[in-house]
Amino acid sequence: MLALSLLLALGAAGCGGDDGGDEAGTEASEGVDEGAEPGGTFRTQTDAFEWTGNFDPTGEYLATFLGLYQNLLGRTLMGYNHVPDAEGNELIPDLAEAEPEISEDGLTYTFTLREGVMWGPPLDRAVTAQDVEYAFRRIATPALVAQYGFYYLGVIKGLQEYSDAGGLTEDPEGETPIEGITVQDERTIQFDLEAPTGDFLYRIAMPAAGPIPEEVAKCFLTAGEYGRFVISSGPYMIEGSDQLDITSCDTMQAISGFNPNQRLILERNPNYDPETDTPEARENFFDRFEMTLNTNAQDIFDRVRQGQLELAYASEPSEVVREYSTNADLEDRYQINSGDRTWYITMNLTQPPFDDIHVRKAANWIMDKEGLRRAWGGEPKGLIANHIVPDTMFNNNLEDYAPYATEGDAGNLEEAQNEMRQSKYDTDQDGMCDAPQCKGVLHVTRTTDVWANMAPIIEESFAKIGIELNTRQFEDSYTIIQTVKRQVPVSSTPGWGKDYADASTFMVLFDSRSILPEGNVNYSLVGLTPETAQELGATGTVEGITSVDDAIDSCNELMDEERLDCWQELDQQLMEEIVPWVPYLQGNADFVISDAVSKYVFDQASGDPAWAHLAIDQDLQQ
Amino acid sequence: MATVAPEIHEAGPPAEPETDVVGLSPRQLFWARFKQDKAAVAGLVIIIVLIVLALAAPLIAKLVGHGPNDLFQREMTDSFGVPKGPNADFWFGADQAGRDVFVRAIYGARTSLIVGLVATGIAVFFGTIVGILAGYFGGKIDTAISRTIDVVLSMPILLFAIGIVAACGTTGCLNGLIEPGLTLVIFVIALFSWPYIARIVRGNTLSIREKEFIEASRSLGAGNTRIMFREVLPNLVAPIVVYSTLLIPTNILFEAALSFLGLGVPQRTPSWGGMLSDATQYFRFAWWLMFFPGIFLILTTLSFNLLGDGLRDALDPRSNR
Amino acid sequence: MGRYVIRRLLWTVLVVLVVTLLTFVVFYVMPPGNPSVRFAGKQPTPELIAQVEKQLGLDRSLPEQYAHFLRRLFLGDGTECPLVYRPLCSIESVENFVVLDTGGCATGVSGCGWPGLGMSFDSRTAVRQELIERTPRTLSLIFGAAVIWLVVGVSIGVISALKRRTIWDRLAMGFALFGISAPVFWLGLVALWIFTVKLPFSDSLGTGYVEFGNDPVGWFTHLILPWTVLALLYAAFYARMTRGNLIDTMGEDYIRTARAKGLPERRVIFKHGLRASLTPIVTMFGLDVALLVGGAVITETVFNIQGLGNYAVQSAVSADLPAMTGVVVIVAFAVAFMNLVVDIVYAYLDPRVRYS
Repeated sequence: MLALSLLLALGAAGCGGDDGGDEAGTEASEGVDEGAEPGGTFRTQTDAFEWTGNFDPTGEYLATFLGLYQNLLGRTLMGYNHVPDAEGNELIPDLAEAEPEISEDGLTYTFTLREGVMWGPPLDRAVTAQDVEYAFRRIATPALVAQYGFYYLGVIKGLQEYSDAGGLTEDPEGETPIEGITVQDERTIQFDLEAPTGDFLYRIAMPAAGPIPEEVAKCFLTAGEYGRFVISSGPYMIEGSDQLDITSCDTMQAISGFNPNQRLILERNPNYDPETDTPEARENFFDRFEMTLNTNAQDIFDRVRQGQLELAYASEPSEVVREYSTNADLEDRYQINSGDRTWYITMNLTQPPFDDIHVRKAANWIMDKEGLRRAWGGEPKGLIANHIVPDTMFNNNLEDYAPYATEGDAGNLEEAQNEMRQSKYDTDQDGMCDAPQCKGVLHVTRTTDVWANMAPIIEESFAKIGIELNTRQFEDSYTIIQTVKRQVPVSSTPGWGKDYADASTFMVLFDSRSILPEGNVNYSLVGLTPETAQELGATGTVEGITSVDDAIDSCNELMDEERLDCWQELDQQLMEEIVPWVPYLQGNADFVISDAVSKYVFDQASGDPAWAHLAIDQDLQQ
Repeated sequence: MATVAPEIHEAGPPAEPETDVVGLSPRQLFWARFKQDKAAVAGLVIIIVLIVLALAAPLIAKLVGHGPNDLFQREMTDSFGVPKGPNADFWFGADQAGRDVFVRAIYGARTSLIVGLVATGIAVFFGTIVGILAGYFGGKIDTAISRTIDVVLSMPILLFAIGIVAACGTTGCLNGLIEPGLTLVIFVIALFSWPYIARIVRGNTLSIREKEFIEASRSLGAGNTRIMFREVLPNLVAPIVVYSTLLIPTNILFEAALSFLGLGVPQRTPSWGGMLSDATQYFRFAWWLMFFPGIFLILTTLSFNLLGDGLRDALDPRSNR
Repeated sequence: MGRYVIRRLLWTVLVVLVVTLLTFVVFYVMPPGNPSVRFAGKQPTPELIAQVEKQLGLDRSLPEQYAHFLRRLFLGDGTECPLVYRPLCSIESVENFVVLDTGGCATGVSGCGWPGLGMSFDSRTAVRQELIERTPRTLSLIFGAAVIWLVVGVSIGVISALKRRTIWDRLAMGFALFGISAPVFWLGLVALWIFTVKLPFSDSLGTGYVEFGNDPVGWFTHLILPWTVLALLYAAFYARMTRGNLIDTMGEDYIRTARAKGLPERRVIFKHGLRASLTPIVTMFGLDVALLVGGAVITETVFNIQGLGNYAVQSAVSADLPAMTGVVVIVAFAVAFMNLVVDIVYAYLDPRVRYS
C-alpha cells in the first residue's frame, strides 16, 4: 500500500479536438462552487513524485506536470479553458492572441503572440516569439531528451535535421536557422510543416512547445536540469524564483520551492497580468500552492477529511470510495470525471496460447470485468470498457459498441467456450484450452493493491476456459512488459491515457513502427514482421500478424468528422479482427477534496483538477 | 525496523556437560526441567497444533468447502469491492477479493512456518559451519569470517532485499537455484540471518576449544574435522537450539515486513505477512482482515519465543530462572 | 591506541568498500532492466535511450562506473558540479514539512563536495544534498526512539530480573513478548489510526516531520508516535536481553564474592551485576542504532518522515541507483563508526575488558 508503487507516467495531457460530445458517461460532477474567494494556500499531498524528466518542460512527460504547467506555470501558444467534458478538450488561443492563420494547404501556421505576457522574476521581460523558437531548439536537442519530441521532429520542416546536427549542443547560441520556424518579429512566429498534420494545434499546446527563455535555459543543456530553474510565464511561479541570480550561469542556484522528490511550492507571479488571460481559462484564486510528499496514502485521506489538506492527489482506497459515495454529507467532496484513459489486459500476439485469435476472443468473452472494477473500488472508478479508445474521445459514438458484452459484465462462459472450440489449443473441442501451452502461462502484473486484488479475478476467469495463469507481480512490471525480448504472454499492468483528445494518441499502441526493443508500448506486437522479430530477438508465432499501419496513416491524413469516423472504424477493426486487448475499464479521474475547497473544477485536457480554477475558504482550513 | 532485530547477543558461557546428577541422563534432566516451564510447554503445544493445522489445510478447506484461492467476490464484497465480515459460512470473513480468510489463514500457517523454519534452518546450517570454523581455527580464518559477518551485518537489509528481489524476481538467479516467489523470499531471509547464528557459534566455540576434553581428544590423535563435529558441535546444541528457536519468529516477521514493502511471497500463496499487509488498506472497517492473521502470527511468534526461553532454561543448567 | 584507531579506520574504509561493491553487484550488475528507459519517454528509440544512458553515466563499463563512483566518494565531486547541485537556501516553512536550516543564503547546502555521491537519476539532484537534508530527520527519529527503548527496555529488564517469577515479571515479559511478536507496520498503522482518527487528541500528533529549529514543540509532538512505535519493538528486545543477562550475571562467582564481602545488595546489583550484563547490550545498541540510519524504513513510511530509509526504499524501487548507493554508504559508515564507539564504551563498562 505504501507508496512503493512505481507507476510509469501514464501518458498525459492533451488537448482537445472533439467538438461536441455530451456528458462524459460518468456521473460527471458540476464541481463545487460556493462563492469562491481569492487567497489562501492550496495544500495537496501525493504518495509519490514520479517525474520522468525532472520538471523540465522540454522533457517532462508526467500527467501531473502537464496539468500543473498548463494551469499555473506556463503559457503555450494554444491552451485550454481547464474545464470538464468535451469543452475542456477544446483548444483556445492562450499565449497566441487569436487562432493561428493556417494556409490553404495546411502546411503553414502563423501565430501572433499576445501583448503584455511577461516572464516572471527574475527575468521581468516580455515573452517573445524567439522564446517559442528557442523551445523548439530545445526539443531538437538530443541531449535534452524531449520525451515526446516525436510530435515535432519530422513534422516541422528542418527540425529533424537540426536535431541530427546535434541541436543546441553544437549550436550553443541557437543561431543556426531552422527551415520550418520563422520568427517574423517579436510577436509573430510561423511554422512550416512537412505534411498536413490534423492535430498540429494539439501538439502546440503541449508544454514543450511553450516559450522558454534562453537567458536561463542556455545554462542547462542536459536533460532535466532546467526543471529546477523553470521561469514562469503563467499566473504562478516556483517559490524563490525571485532570488535566482541570472547574472551568469555560475551564479544560478536551483530555485528553492521545488525539490523533485519532496515538494513543489508555487506562489503568485507578480508579473502576471490577468488582462492577458481570461477568467474562463484561469481564475487563480489561491495565493500559494503546495504539493508535498506523504508516503502514507491513508494519512493523506485522513488529512483531507480533517481539513488539513485541500485535496488528496493519490488513488482512493475502496474504503474511501465507499465512504464518500454512500455518505450524503461527503458526496460533493468526492469529484469524479472521465479520465480519458483505458485500463486493459494485453495479450501478446506471438505467444501461445494468445497467438490464436479465438483464444483472445474467448478471453474477452470470459473476463469478469465487473469483478475487476470492484477490485478498483467499484462504479466510481469508471465505466466498463468494451473497446480501445475511451468513449468520451469519440463523442460517445461508440458508447453502445460492445462486441463482447456479457450480462452484468461478469463474463459469458458459453460464448467463450464457443470461441475456444475453434482454437487449435482446444484439442478435444470441449471449450477448454487443453494443450500444454495453456498451463503455467506467465501473467505479469504490478504489486500495488489494485493489481494484487485483480490478479485472482483474472486467474479465475482464465481458468474457466482452461488457461492456467502463472501470475508474477513486479514493482517494475512496466519495464518487464516493455522489453520485447521478455515475451510476456499476458499482462494486466497497462493502462493508457491520451496526450490530447485525438485517438491517434491511442493508435500509436498498435503501430508496428513503434515496436522498440526496450520501452515498447505495442505490447501485443500488432503488425510485427518476421524481420523485425528477428532484429529484436522475439520468437514465437511471428508470421502472419496483421498490420494496421496503413489504416493509421490514412486516418492521420484526415480532419474533423472524417478523422473521427476513421479512428472509430479502426477501433472496431482492432477489437474484432485483431483483438490485442481485453479492455476492462474506462478509468475515471476521481479526487477527494476537503470542506475548504469552495470551488472545484475538473480539467478534462490534463485529467487532473483544474488548478487554475480551484478556490478555498480559508476559514474552513485546519 | 522489524527486520532482523534479533534477540541475539553473544551467548553467555556455554553449557557444560552435566555430570553431577546421578540417575538422570542429560536428556531426562532436560525434559524434567522443561516440563516444569508451563509457558514453554504451552508454546510447544501451540506450535504442534499449528503444524497439524498447516498439514491438514487441504482437509480443512474441503470441510469448509472453500479453497484458499476460491473467489466469492459477488457474495462477500459489496459493490465497492469492500469485503464482508464473518458469517456462518465464512468464519473469519472474506478478504477484498472475496476469499475465505479462515482458509487462507490456515494455509498461511504453511507459508509462514515454511518460511520461518526453512529460512532459519538454512541460516543455522551455514551459520553453524562458518561459526565453528571461525571459532575453532581462529587466526586468519577467524578474521576473514568475522569481517564477512561484520560486512553482512552492516548492510541495510531491506534495501538489499529489494535489490535482490528486483534482480532475481523475474527469471530467478544463480542458475535457477533461486526461483522467484517463496524460494526467493526464503533465500533473502536466510542470507541476512546466518551471521547471527555464526556469531554465537563462534563465541561458544572459542571457549569450548580451550576445554580440557578437547585437548584430550586432540592428544588422542583426533583430526580437526572429528573434533569440530564430534566434540565441539554437541556442546553447541544448546545455544543453537535456543537461538534458532528465537530466530524463527524473527524470520516470520521478516517475511511480513517484506510483504508490506511488496516484496513477499506472491499473493496467490497465502501468508500471514501478506494477509496483514493487504489488511493495512482495510483494517479500519474490516477488522477481521487484520485480526485473524494477526492473532495467528502473534500466537506463533509468541509460542516460538516461549519455547526458546524454555529451552534455554532447560538446556542451560546454570541458569536457574 | 593511535595504531588501534588507525587500524579501525582502515577497517572502516574496507567495510565501506566491500559494501559498496556488493551494492554495485546487486543493483547495477544483477538487475535485468535498464533504468534509462524510464527517462526516454513513450517512444524510447535506441538513440534516446543511449542519450539518457550517457547522461546517467550508464554507458560506461561497469568497472569504470565503479571506479568513477569510488573516485568521487573519496575525492569529492571536484569539478563535476553542475548548477543544479546548488540550491537557493532559505525557504519558508511548509506545512508539516521540514526545511533544513542551511545557515543563511550564502552557504546554502551544495550538492558538491566531499563525499561526492553523484546525481540522483530521478530528481537530477545531488544525492549528497538530498542526504544532508534528510539526515536530521532520521537522526531525530532514531535517537528519540533509542533513548526510549534503552530506558524502558533496560528498566523493565532489571525489574523483571530482580522480581523474578512475580506478577511484575510476568507482565513485563508479556509486554516484551508482544512487542517482539507484533509487526512494526501493524503497530504503526494502528497507533496512527487510534491517535489521529479515533481519538484525535491533537492535530500535531500525526504524521510528518517538523523541523526542530522552526517549531521545537511540533517537532516533539510529531515524533512521539513514531518514537514509541519504533521503540516498542526494541524495548521488548532489550528488556528480554537485560533480564536474561542480569540473571546470568547474578549467578557469576564474582557476584557471590561481592555479596560475601557484605556489600549492600543494591550496590552489588547496580555496580557489579548491571554493569557486566549491559556490555552485550551496548554492542547490540551500537549496531541497532547504526542500522536504523537506513533501516527505519517502515516507520518512516508509515509516519511520512522523509528520512534516509524512506528515500532509500523509494530509490531502490525506482532503480535510482546513485541515491540508493548513497544511503548504503552512509549506513556502512554509521555502522563502522558505531562499532568504534561501542568498543570504547565496552572497555569502560566491562572491567574484564579493561583489565586484560
